[in-house]
Order: sequence, then C-alpha cells, then structure tokens
Amino acid sequence: MTEKKAKNVNLSITNPKVFEAIKMILSILIALAITFVVLCLISDNPVRAIVTILTGPLTKRRYFGSVVESFIPYAFSGLAAGVLFKSGAFNLGGEGIFIISGVTVAAVACNAITTSHMLHPVLCILAAAVTGGILMIIPSFLKAKFGTNEMVVSLMLNSIYSGIAMFLIRKYLLTTTTSTIGSRDYLATARIGYIYEPLRVSPCLILLIAATIIMYLIMFKTRLGYQIRLAGTNPKFAEYSGMSAFKLAIITAMIAGVLCGIGAACQLLTQTAFYQPDRSLTGIGFSGMLLSMLGRNNPIGIVIAAFMIKYLEQGTGVLYFVDRAVPAEIVAIVEGIVILLISSQYFLRGFREKRLLKEGLEKDA
Amino acid sequence: MLSTIFGSLFTMNFLTTVIRLSTPLFFAAIASFIAASTGMVNIAIESIMTFGALAGILGSYITGSAWTGLLIGLVIGVCTALLIALFSMRLGASPILIGIALNTFANSLAIFFLYAITGEKGSSASLATKTLSSVNIPVIKDIPVIGQLISGQYILTYVCWVILILLFILIYKTPLGMRMRACGLNAGAARTAGINVEKLQILSLIMSGLFAALGGMYLSLNYVHIYSSNMVAGQGWMGIAANGIASGNYGVLLISALIFAVFRAVSLIFNSSAIFPVDLVAAIPYFAVFFFVTIVSVIKYYRVKTGHVEEQ
Repeated sequence: MTEKKAKNVNLSITNPKVFEAIKMILSILIALAITFVVLCLISDNPVRAIVTILTGPLTKRRYFGSVVESFIPYAFSGLAAGVLFKSGAFNLGGEGIFIISGVTVAAVACNAITTSHMLHPVLCILAAAVTGGILMIIPSFLKAKFGTNEMVVSLMLNSIYSGIAMFLIRKYLLTTTTSTIGSRDYLATARIGYIYEPLRVSPCLILLIAATIIMYLIMFKTRLGYQIRLAGTNPKFAEYSGMSAFKLAIITAMIAGVLCGIGAACQLLTQTAFYQPDRSLTGIGFSGMLLSMLGRNNPIGIVIAAFMIKYLEQGTGVLYFVDRAVPAEIVAIVEGIVILLISSQYFLRGFREKRLLKEGLEKDA
Repeated sequence: MLSTIFGSLFTMNFLTTVIRLSTPLFFAAIASFIAASTGMVNIAIESIMTFGALAGILGSYITGSAWTGLLIGLVIGVCTALLIALFSMRLGASPILIGIALNTFANSLAIFFLYAITGEKGSSASLATKTLSSVNIPVIKDIPVIGQLISGQYILTYVCWVILILLFILIYKTPLGMRMRACGLNAGAARTAGINVEKLQILSLIMSGLFAALGGMYLSLNYVHIYSSNMVAGQGWMGIAANGIASGNYGVLLISALIFAVFRAVSLIFNSSAIFPVDLVAAIPYFAVFFFVTIVSVIKYYRVKTGHVEEQ
C-alpha cells in the first residue's frame, strides 16, 4: 500500500523534480513550436526544415562526430558559469578567460618544451588551467573585498583580455606563412588525437566526463559545494553561520577559471592548427552562461544542454546545404525561449498549486 | 610624433569627436539611471541598443524613411523593456539572468532577423537605407568655437541633450519624479504612502527601453549610417558602469559618461597614429571603465570602513 502511494507521489506534478522536468519538456516544445512558426515565415518548406534540424546530425556519422567534438569546450564553459551562478556570483568573465588562456595554450604548443606526445598536450592544458584559474579571480576578488560591480568589471576585462591576446600573439607568436592575425602552427606533439576516429572521440571527452562527475560530487557531496549553494540561495544566512564569503568567492572563481582554461585548451588542440584570438574561441564564454541557465546550474544538466544546443546547431548546418533561407542563428531563438520560460518561477506554478490543493483536499477527505 | 598626438588632443576636432562619442554613452547611462531610480535592474541595455540599431535601419529600409525607422526602433525598444518587465515582475524570473540572456542573444538574434528579412549577413552596408542627417543651427553656427561645437551635430545628439535636461526636471523637480525615487529608496514605504509602485517601475523600464533604443539608433541611423554586427561593442555596459559610479547622483552620472567618451576619443586618435600597438589602444576605453569602477568602489569601501559614510 505504502509502496504504491510513494510511486504515485513521485510521478505527480506535485513532486518538485517531476515538476521541473515537465516544465523543461513543455518549454522545449513551446520553443520548437515557435521555431516552426518562424520557419513557416522564412522557408519554402518548413516541415523539411524542422525535420532536418531535428534529425540532420544523425544522418551521417561525420555530422554526429562533429557534435561530439564541438560541444566539449561549450560544456566546460557552461560548467564554469554554473558554479559561479550557483554561488550567486555574476562574474561574466568566461569569455575573456577563454581568449587569454588560448594565448598560453598557443605559447606552450608552439614551443618544443618536450618531445613527448603524451606530456605536451597535458602541459598545454595545465598552463591554460593555471592562467584561467588566476585571472578569473580578479572580478570576484574586487566584488568580495570592495563590493565592485562584478558584471561591469568582468565584461570590461573581457574586452581588455581580447586586446592583450591580440597584442601578445601579434608580437611574439605571429605566423609568417599567412596574412591572417594568428599564431604559428602548433607543434605536432601538442595536438590531441582521436581515440575513436569515426565519431571524433578524443581524450577531451573523457576529460569532460571526469570534470562533470567531479563538479557534481563537489556541488552535491562536499561541504564546499553545500557552502557554494548556500551562498547562492541565502548569502546573509551563509555569512551568519560563520562561512567566509570572501574565501568562498575566490575558490569558486578559481574553479570556474580552471574549467574555462581546460575548455580553451581542448578546443584549440583538437579543432585548430593555430590560434586566432579574434576567431578561434570567441563566443564560447558567453554561450556557457546560457547553457548554465538551460541546465539550471546543475553540472549534468549543463553538459546535456551543451550537447543539445550543439546538436541543433549541427542540424541547422545540415539544413543550410538544402535550404539557404534559414540561418544557423535560428538556434538562438530556441535557446532564448527555453531559457526565458524555465527561469520563470511562476510559469506553470498556478497549475501545480491547483493540483497540490486538490491532492491535499483528497487526503483530508 | 608624440607631441603631435598630444597636440591633437586639444583641437576642435577632438572635442567634436568627444561630443559624437558621448551621445550613445549618455543614452545608455540615463537608460540605466532611470530604471535604477525606481529600484529596477535593467542590465539588458546593451541588447536593447542592438535591437534598436537594427530595427531603425530595417525600418528605414522597408518604409524608405529614416523617421519611420526611428519610430519602429522605439517600438522595439519599448517591447524589449516590456518583455523584461513581464518576465521579472509577473513570472518571477531574475532580472539579472533575463538581462544576461538577452545580452548574449542580441547579436545572434540581430543577425538572424537581418538575414531573414534582407538576406544580408552581419551588416546592412549594401542595403539602400535612409539615415538621419546633421543639423546646422542658424545663429549659433556663426559664433566662433562654440558654434563649431554646438552646431552641425547629428539630430539625435540634440534630442539627447533635450532629454538630459527634461529628465533632470522630471526626476528632481516634479511630483512624479519624487515618487519614482521614493520607489527606489524604499518600495515598501512608497506603497504605504499610496504610490502605485509597480506602475512606476514599469514606466521607468519603458523609459529605459526608449533611451537605450535611441542610443542604438544614434549609432546606426546617425553615426555609422549602417547596422553592423557587434556595433554596440560594450557601450551599453559603459552606461551601466556610469550609473554604478554615480549611485543616484545625476551630475556624476553625466560626468562619468563624458569621461568614458573622452577615453574612447583618445583611443581613436592613438589608433590612427600607429605609435602604440593598435590592439592595446583599442582596449583603452574598457580599461578606463574598469579602472574608474574599481577605484570608486575602493574609495566607497574605505569611506564606509572609516565611518565617513553609513553603509546602505
């Protein structure tokens, strides 16, 4: 009897987890419906368009492999934004950290500091992680110590870092073979190869899975994670219960910076032959913030969101071969609508409250 | 060589450049200021400027008139502001998250709409769009120095100056402005005093949207004459930074925006001189904002700590 009852409760909308899931699915359906309306307006064949967007990446192994490879840096960026947002820090510096870590990756990858195929990429990743971890602290430190507006400061730093990155590459690592502003080609020892070539599975994927599990464990199974979540939901309470808000802000920023640095190294060493500061890594940091919102700041949710968004982008890429009327930016519409809906506390809440009330009344009767 | 650069800092040309660059920053600053005056958070100014800039250009392309383009841009600005109001006030979403999301989408959405409507990608340069002109003011233009500065500016610069004065009167000299500031200082007390707080907050968000859209349209319809991707380039955030520095003081707000404009002009001059590395010169305005915002917060911190000012 009790077992049956427990099962019933779990599947009802009154269960917060089920409610979240229903809200998420409904948001995605609404977003797809609106996307379809937009497609009807701009495309001659909207049905083919939406079917291609949703199934295109599965039609060829190469397309799916591209999703598997390209979502990794976005997932790292999302994990970084997730831990910052969860702690209540609106440090928007991921974009700049990606770009400036790219310089360290290029510097290590272009120089023959080791001849080992195993060690060289590891050194690149470590260098990027250290750069990211240190530089991400700046806005969070200023906020925690002086109450500086971290959003403004981190955004300004993004622009400053991209200027510095361009300067450093132009001055110290500039390629001599082409006229583009970019670094020299990385040495062959630094590049990360594939473990399973057809689906473009690289060691970066394993690194991402490990990072996701570690982040999940930190957030939900350790004291640090509990403090981060508490600081995000109720900073006053966290302070009064004796936590050092300052220390927490610094540690959180450092974790986020390390994740951004690793993401930058993964992107560069698998998908580029040389580093262009104004091209190779732009937009990843900002996308991470959206992915973090899509995944509700949960590490596993964020990685799934990153995969889904990259999947849809690949779908529009496939569509572009047959229907030039639909630009790839249509994915932004799906993403935007889902984010707006799931971040609305009151969306569907009335419906849930009615059910709760009804259940409560039934229980009384 | 260096002396010629510093010489060129004090020419009329430089001052007119500062005036031209200050207009969008003023618009962004007052957009942030008016929202903050009733206690609302609008960090989506960057995106409203982008939408306004694009809608103005597309409007002028479709209708063939820059003025209807301006009107369409204003409508889009108000719609975006209302969207923020709907989600943050009615649906319980965090206005900061909504703002971050909008800012991040703005460029993608702008590229999407530009492509879907005109088939152009990233820039409206090849479209036959109408733009607004600059204005010579009859008598004033003949006065030396002042005439050169005040006359011959773009129409939206004059609109900006008029709005700056009207906004000052509205906020500090009218009952409505006093009520709006009351909402910002203590919404609970304002509500007890019979003020419809929500109505005033929505009003301030709408005004914020209008100002930000005007700032964006100044860039596309007046200053650059085309829409190009990423043309707002952090100017909305500079307005927010100015508002953060001012913390409710209108004079400081305008001076901060002007200082940022001076640094943007300096960056332009250094950029054309090719003495300093161009990449670092391009970062000067952002560094200036970073520097001022940080310094002001450090000073505030120590004033609170030493007991000069009470913590708010």
